[in-house]
Amino acid sequence: MPGAPTYPQFPLRAPLSGRRASCSDAEVPACRGRAPAAGDMLPKPRSRGRPSSQADRDGGRGGDGRAARSAAAEEAPSTSRGAGGSQDPRRSSSQGGRRADAPLVVGPRSQKQLELKVAELVQFLLIKDQRKIPIKRADIVKHVLGDYRDMFPDLLHRAAERLQYVFGYRLVELEPKSNTYILINSLEPVEEDAELRGDQGTPTTGLLMIVLGLIFMKGNAVKETEVWDFLRRLGVYPTKKHLIFGDPKKLLTEDFVRQRYLEYRRIPHTDPVDYELQWGPRTHLETSKMKVLKFVAKVHNQDPKDWPAQYCEALAEEEDRARPQASAPSQASARSQTSTRPPTSAPSQTSTRPPTSAPSQTSAPAPSS
Amino acid sequence: MQGSSRRTGTMTDVHRRFLQLLMTHGVLEEWEVKRLQKHCYKVHDCNAPVEKLEDFIHNINSVLESLYIEIKKGVTEDDGRPIYALVNLATTAISKMASDFAENELDLFRKALELIIDSETGFASSTNILNVVDQLKGKKMRKKEAEQVLQKFAQNKWLIEKEGEFTLHTRAILEMEQHIRETYPDAVKICNICHGLLIQGQSCETCGIRMHLPCVAKYFQSNSEPRCPNCNDYWPHEIPEVFDPEKERGAGLSKPSRKSLRPRQPL
Repeated sequence: MPGAPTYPQFPLRAPLSGRRASCSDAEVPACRGRAPAAGDMLPKPRSRGRPSSQADRDGGRGGDGRAARSAAAEEAPSTSRGAGGSQDPRRSSSQGGRRADAPLVVGPRSQKQLELKVAELVQFLLIKDQRKIPIKRADIVKHVLGDYRDMFPDLLHRAAERLQYVFGYRLVELEPKSNTYILINSLEPVEEDAELRGDQGTPTTGLLMIVLGLIFMKGNAVKETEVWDFLRRLGVYPTKKHLIFGDPKKLLTEDFVRQRYLEYRRIPHTDPVDYELQWGPRTHLETSKMKVLKFVAKVHNQDPKDWPAQYCEALAEEEDRARPQASAPSQASARSQTSTRPPTSAPSQTSTRPPTSAPSQTSAPAPSS
Repeated sequence: MQGSSRRTGTMTDVHRRFLQLLMTHGVLEEWEVKRLQKHCYKVHDCNAPVEKLEDFIHNINSVLESLYIEIKKGVTEDDGRPIYALVNLATTAISKMASDFAENELDLFRKALELIIDSETGFASSTNILNVVDQLKGKKMRKKEAEQVLQKFAQNKWLIEKEGEFTLHTRAILEMEQHIRETYPDAVKICNICHGLLIQGQSCETCGIRMHLPCVAKYFQSNSEPRCPNCNDYWPHEIPEVFDPEKERGAGLSKPSRKSLRPRQPL
């Protein structure tokens, strides 16, 4: 990118793990998660690992264990830990629904089963968030919980606790009552992290940051035409393929929108039709006006206070976040934070405010009058 | 609900950052892991002494256990370099979701895997793999596309490509060993020394037992007359050197390009 000598750390606390912040589905996805994992593509059916059913052989269900993915989502998992964990590989493990010939474990779910469900849910959330697409409750129920759907709140809570405790990710509901979730990194990214990552971050984050900065500096909303006027000066055009960003128009108006970093709305009564870009809910959760202002200031080699209006606005937001909000309009709720670190980060579907933990360092200056 | 009531280790931000960064790689060589560990200590806790890597990893693994994930240590089959990989222990459908691969891509992997296991050298040629492309499940895949998918597997360290041939990356072995042994019990090869799954290795021309190259290196270290541990016949292959981390670092190479002593002659 022209101009700025070294890019300052982008103040976006995206999870550090295996992410391509860009998200075009057409791109080669990074399979940092569990890619062709053991059981999922071999022809023989997988063994069933329920602890109590060692002797449970359902005869005659050979054949292809690779049932349709969604059907197989229901199946009880097997664990392949240690040499002793394996069972007859020829037994089918696809389940789909109820089978008449095999006894099904009903009744109280064992600790172990619940634990495994939570484990699956954690992995599911990690992998899904990798694409930066908010995770829907419906998908969770369909692909992970299945029969355990009645336990959704409890299992999600446990998964959120694990995600925070083990990985340092907060599971947050994107907007209250939206039933969609994202992961926010509760660890601050550090310059040197970038050198040690396996995926070298994505250059598209740079474009996003510039646009976020532009939006904020222009009063929290900017017309699409203005955005392109601005980006043109940087050699980025809506219609021209960019060496680093690929398709900038698609990035700004589709990809970043899908990831909820931006909102893209038509401005009524405009001719030719024009659109408006604003921050999306994920941006509000992952960063702050102050951080973006600091980023913009650094790029210009100036001080945030050189933009008094924006500085005041950013300060006000810091203050807002530092104390719990009484009323919570839908956008503001995404931004409110408590100043103490709650023990868990379980998203509650009924609360209007996702419990968050205070950023450990935003150097918010003391509020002035 | 407290999930950590068992006697597990404690996670701190040092461990979390480590885990986050490790996840961006999937698999790392030991020296890289140590560097990562040091970095995380530096970021969070400058003064604390850096815990021994083995204990550090063990601590994290005890916490990961309930999530059916593990940081497994392995050794590269060709030159015995120690590596660490984050593996999934539960073979559930979530792994299916988790993989970003389409059904036909997974099937391609499976076919490649089978060809690799059946081969004498542990390598399957690109040509042979591509020849089965029309038998794949799912959407029809052209050979050109299949070539790219194979490259994708190599980029993501599930396969290794060498001169147009593919073998399993150590990461894949670590993650899938259990499953491969269960699924192909007759076809898999086992190392006579460590009894682990063997994809690449050397074999005795008389009795047919096989050994990993690093296992050969250790077993025959400073033995001027290497003999087969099973039939005592003269061991006909070149004995590789035991991997020496000091030597590698001294050479200043991040990816040591050692001559890999892969026996290419069929039995």
